Amino acid sequence: MTPLRRWLAPSHPVQLLLGLTLWSLWFVLLYAGLSVACELAPPSPGQGALTGINAWLAVLTLAILALLGWLAWRGLAVGRASVGRPRFIALVGAGLHLYSAAGVAFVGLPLVALPPCL
Amino acid sequence: MSESMRPTPEAEHLHQELSAVWGNSPGWRGRLSVVNHSTLGLRFMFTGLVFFLLGGVLAMLIRTQLALPDQAFMSPEIYAQVTTMHGTVMMFLFAIPMLEGLAIYLIPKMIGARDLACPRLTAFGYWCYLFGGIILFASLLLEMAPDSGWFMYTPLSSSEYAPGPGSDFWLLGITFVEISALSAGVELTVSILRTRAPGMALHRMPLFAWYILAMALMIVVGFPPLILGSVLLELERAAGMPFFTVAGGGDPILWQHLFWLFGHPEVYIIFLPAAGIVSTLIPVFAGRPIVGYGWVVAAIVITGFISFGLWVHHMFTVGIPQLAQAFFSAASMLVAVPTAIQVFVWLATLWLGRPRMTLPMLWVTGFLVIFVCGGLTGVMLALVPFNWQVHDTHFVVAHLHYVLVGGMFFPLLAGAYYWLPLVTGRMPSEPLGRLGFWLTFLGFNLTFLIMHWTGLLGMPRRVYTYDSAMGWDLYNLISSIGGFMMAAGIAAVLVDLVLHGRYGRRAPPNPWGADTLEWSLAMPPASYNFASLPRVESRHPLWESPSLGEEIARGEHARPGAAHGRRELFGSEALTGRVRQVIHLPGNSLLPLYAALCLAVVCVSLLTRLYPLALLGLAGAGVLLLRWSWENGGHSRAAPLRHDEPEDPPLHSRTADGPGRWTMGVALLADGAFFLSLLFGWFYLWTVSPEWQMPARSPLSLPLLLASGAALTLGSLWLERRVAALRRGREVGLTLALGGIAALGGLHVALLVLVLMVAGLSPTATAHDATLLVGLAYLLAHGGLATVLAALQAWRAGLGLVGARLPFEPGVVALLWRYQVGVYWILVAAIALLPRLTGAGP
Repeated sequence: MTPLRRWLAPSHPVQLLLGLTLWSLWFVLLYAGLSVACELAPPSPGQGALTGINAWLAVLTLAILALLGWLAWRGLAVGRASVGRPRFIALVGAGLHLYSAAGVAFVGLPLVALPPCL
Repeated sequence: MSESMRPTPEAEHLHQELSAVWGNSPGWRGRLSVVNHSTLGLRFMFTGLVFFLLGGVLAMLIRTQLALPDQAFMSPEIYAQVTTMHGTVMMFLFAIPMLEGLAIYLIPKMIGARDLACPRLTAFGYWCYLFGGIILFASLLLEMAPDSGWFMYTPLSSSEYAPGPGSDFWLLGITFVEISALSAGVELTVSILRTRAPGMALHRMPLFAWYILAMALMIVVGFPPLILGSVLLELERAAGMPFFTVAGGGDPILWQHLFWLFGHPEVYIIFLPAAGIVSTLIPVFAGRPIVGYGWVVAAIVITGFISFGLWVHHMFTVGIPQLAQAFFSAASMLVAVPTAIQVFVWLATLWLGRPRMTLPMLWVTGFLVIFVCGGLTGVMLALVPFNWQVHDTHFVVAHLHYVLVGGMFFPLLAGAYYWLPLVTGRMPSEPLGRLGFWLTFLGFNLTFLIMHWTGLLGMPRRVYTYDSAMGWDLYNLISSIGGFMMAAGIAAVLVDLVLHGRYGRRAPPNPWGADTLEWSLAMPPASYNFASLPRVESRHPLWESPSLGEEIARGEHARPGAAHGRRELFGSEALTGRVRQVIHLPGNSLLPLYAALCLAVVCVSLLTRLYPLALLGLAGAGVLLLRWSWENGGHSRAAPLRHDEPEDPPLHSRTADGPGRWTMGVALLADGAFFLSLLFGWFYLWTVSPEWQMPARSPLSLPLLLASGAALTLGSLWLERRVAALRRGREVGLTLALGGIAALGGLHVALLVLVLMVAGLSPTATAHDATLLVGLAYLLAHGGLATVLAALQAWRAGLGLVGARLPFEPGVVALLWRYQVGVYWILVAAIALLPRLTGAGP
């Protein structure tokens, strides 16, 4: 098994960090993307939340949400079928993926309501 | 050592043999050369206590000044110094070092090790902390202390508004102390991951170790942004490089970003170990395992990550778009979830157990009440409109004290009372301890609960007095009375701590009926902790095997004694706890003290603007640290090759893995955080700074940069090949090859110097050029270090200290080369390629 495949296995300890790392990267992209986009091409405040910036960031949010949801589901399935250390890591990892997904949804929610650069 | 722990002549012999190898040397020279984690952990905590008392006196001065309106007890200038130093001392010289000291003292004992993985680093960290703290605090005695608030916002802390040396004391002193924090962060991470008892897999680790692991990694990632900020601000103040000056293309808000990128995680760096104390004590006093071990682990990991995503909530009033504010507001609320998980786990454990309301539990209860209140006002502050209303008022002061005193000080005292019998072998006084608790608890709430109202009535922070007409008189008077009541409570606790060593009842073995390994040791523990190293396959080793302590003392477990004369402990797999190697540790040494003294010379020389002396001090520190690295592996003062060496498991320096490799890896993580902060600064100024001046043509020569990078990359690839060959047992031509690699490193550095020379930068004129200079200096420093280390490896290979039987060290150096290749090309892309591609000229 290649190191990458080993790392991606649900019972590998990297799973304890993967979900929140994805959350962090998404969060940095969200904030940096918004800041740079507002600096380069701020839309008219009259457009409200219906702007290209909001749309792109929402697409990014949904993609990460789907990935985290899948990782959580996979971890839960493997964790339930395992015992001992693999079970512990897979289940805690699944919980962390789930939390990260909830975090992405909660922090991303203002995208549908607020104008980006005001 | 209690008799029950060491009852037989065999055990006595074992004790003497181990003490001879592990003990501290006698006399003053011996005291200065200590590297033992127990001694140094206690020194950290004692020094932290002294700074706490000094910071406490400053707090009392503040409360005296504010007790009544229109007081002239302190001048505005002195008041500003006192408030700045109170915050600085409590955060940097008390909270962090105190908790690090506790972790340094406890972690090896809890995970079944005889010491931390890098004992000289522990000593170096302590000396840096002590000298940095003394330098910083001396500024107050000289009446030239920093006075711009503990977060040193620019431009208030810049030369224009703070022309005296106060800001320099802060920037240099804090950076010095942060070297200490990073040292502890690195070695605690490596120790927890690599030196656990055989069988102690990740899911069996004591919860306290999980908390400390998270804290240590957060220090490693969280402190570098402030170190970078401090370096940049000092460069601005001393050399005129305009990183934070708008007219030169800088931006003062960059300081706020760098400070709070560190500052918000800092709160959780302080909270997590304290919560670790609570998660350790509650199961013991509830008499049952914690409810939801996995939930707590998840909560720790979540806190470690999410706390880095909240920094902008300290900056809601600087003019950030609403949508961005909403992101950070939501993230700030998210962090309440893992905290709530822990609170419910603690309550459930108490609910399902049979709680004993002992003295430590009293402090835990106080923590629960105060911290939950502080957490709730934290959620209030996460709401942008409310945050705007109470920004910079006493409400914020009240909130942060509820979180920090409730979330750190109360658990710390719970832990102090809990582990006191382990440290001294005696029990604290119950009546004195209870008096201390109630005075502190009531005094604290009287001071800070009232302060919420003072804040809601509009009283701003950091004003040295107020007019009676404002209606704040009574609230402030009550707060001041509460402050002195709290001081009386702390005095009672101190009296108890001092007296119990002489008058306290002798503690029986495992006096609280605890489950973790430290209570299997003698009280106080011997310098080597464990006479033999136990196998641990349970989260509650002492509950499952109450006689474990006697078995360990009798040498019935692994590697009893030290007839070989080496300081040894097991090197285990991070995940499974399976033993991989025997780690041999260095003995007592004065090198850490000398290296820290040299850095103190650097610090004082920079303060007094004696730059040649600073350079000399820096060179001295470099030489001493390299000498330190020289006495490793097969060196005669470490573990020279012998015929009777252990083979299963082997000594770590005879393998390709070991703590040094992990230490380098974690240190590079900190380095990477510093680098990313620098990259963030570059892009931030480029996109946001209103007066940023990007030249039409990049001053950096691309051909020279490419040539320098090619030399570096070739050297790194060559080194990787030699490391792989060494692991296969091939050492032919090693000295020559390492020499060739060092030569390529030298070429890389020389070409980089040429880039710098032909660039003709004007770092005092524009932030653009100043940032390029810092970036190139960063690459030069790392390239130079990589070159020197490769050359030293060649030398060691020539002396037979590196080879097929000693293959460890080149792999460690290869990590640095790999890192340098990565950061080099990223930085070249960011500062030389991207501006050309985007045509970002004026």
